[in-house]
Amino acid sequence: MARREMQLDPYPLQTAADDHIYFSKEASSGGRGFAGGGCGCN
Amino acid sequence: MQLRRKKRAGKVRENLAMFSASLLAATIAPAANEAKAQYNDSSYNNDIFGPGIAYSEIDSALLVYQEPGGRVRAIEPATDLTAHGAAGQELNLGLVFDAVSGATPNGAVPSDKIQTFVTPLKAQGSTVTVTSASGGSTVIHLPPSPGEVASAALGRQYTVAPNALPMDRGFRDHRIGFNFGMSFPLGGISNVGFGGGYSIERDYRAITANARIAQNFNSDDTTISLSLNTELDSSFPYGGVPTPLTPMIPDWKTPSSRGKTQAGFVLGLTEVMTRRWLMQLDYSFDLQSGYQNDPYRVISVVDPVSGEPTSYLYENRPNNRQSQSLFWDNKLDFDPAVTDLSLRYFKDSWGVTSETAELSERIRLARWVYVEPSARWYQQSAANFFDNYLVSGQPLPAFASPDPRLGKFTAITYGAKVGFNPTGRTELYLRGGYYQQTGDGHPADAIGQLKQQNLFAGTNAAFVFLGYNWDFH
Repeated sequence: MARREMQLDPYPLQTAADDHIYFSKEASSGGRGFAGGGCGCN
Repeated sequence: MQLRRKKRAGKVRENLAMFSASLLAATIAPAANEAKAQYNDSSYNNDIFGPGIAYSEIDSALLVYQEPGGRVRAIEPATDLTAHGAAGQELNLGLVFDAVSGATPNGAVPSDKIQTFVTPLKAQGSTVTVTSASGGSTVIHLPPSPGEVASAALGRQYTVAPNALPMDRGFRDHRIGFNFGMSFPLGGISNVGFGGGYSIERDYRAITANARIAQNFNSDDTTISLSLNTELDSSFPYGGVPTPLTPMIPDWKTPSSRGKTQAGFVLGLTEVMTRRWLMQLDYSFDLQSGYQNDPYRVISVVDPVSGEPTSYLYENRPNNRQSQSLFWDNKLDFDPAVTDLSLRYFKDSWGVTSETAELSERIRLARWVYVEPSARWYQQSAANFFDNYLVSGQPLPAFASPDPRLGKFTAITYGAKVGFNPTGRTELYLRGGYYQQTGDGHPADAIGQLKQQNLFAGTNAAFVFLGYNWDFH
């Protein structure tokens, strides 16, 4: 349970990159964290 | 060489310790009594990291993203530095950089004839150098407005071939972002934290701030958290802010910028369900108010019989948007595999609803290497003001946008990751993925020549993500 892979967000940079891709292509954002992208990518 | 490296590492450690201590001194809480184990196997090496241990970590990553057909390409390096205190304190500093270029759809529908579009090029009175990098565009001199100096006004004109999706090939931008955060136990509260961020690009600026409070219960098997977030954005598009639903023109426009504010919260529950099952449930609420248009996007107005474009109008979206989402994540340990399954439901006041399901399976092949295939399925409904085009002669709606991001579509992402953990304190991983959108490009109510066109402007994309993590004392 305490191994890295069992942490809820063990790779935050990877999560951020995924969120950035999806935020720039989809109408939905947030869920795991806050909505919005902190950027103006359209 | 070895001595030099050790000395440098020691200096970093020393600086981190001083930095952390100075920030956390006023809020050091008694040592946490969590009985959580460290996440590194102590039989693997002599280092242990995780809750209850003071250590630091550096995360660095590089994302390369490419859409086919000369569309958007992005290169995004990022790095995070985190210092963990023995009593559960955490200090995080992050830096990210984006370089984006390529062609991007301008919103107009394809036509069986050549289409011509115009955009601002340079402010009046400035000089301009035209290169081939302008994407095949030509510079045009604009007719002067009354009282203006004619020779100083320039615009950019580009043409699109028949039956091709109109795209502006002059798209190029870069962004740099900073963020920080710190969290710590405070009195009887398990964890409080706050953070902020600043992001700047050529035509957009975002300032974010957040705060979080969390409380553990049930021998730390249950955590309830509340996070608050606010964002202040400013859009200052190249060429000024266009007046919504007015014809596309190359002139510089006023105002030069518009703002947007955002505020939201996330209410979270984390539960250790069994020794091998960790569950997270989040409810998010978000309000956005202000300028939310894409200032570069136009919508075609077409002839009601032939479907040929007669003009192009700047899009318009409502100023206010309210959204909610429910996110459910599960981590299941089937040693040597770990399954991650998450579901999300999203709904907003623009009429968009979406469902997302994501599954990954991390399989440890040996103590130092693992593979992780993954898949994500996503579908969304269209915003109630989404239209591929407007019809000439019909009343103009208050809001209209052809942004495929607001249309109805389904998207699937396939991914695979391989990670190496040779020492127990470092990890190198490589992830590749392919993102594929599908939508209705041939709606039954298409008019005239539009029946022959693919009206879905969604895209596919390939991406590669290389990451490196280093834990050190």
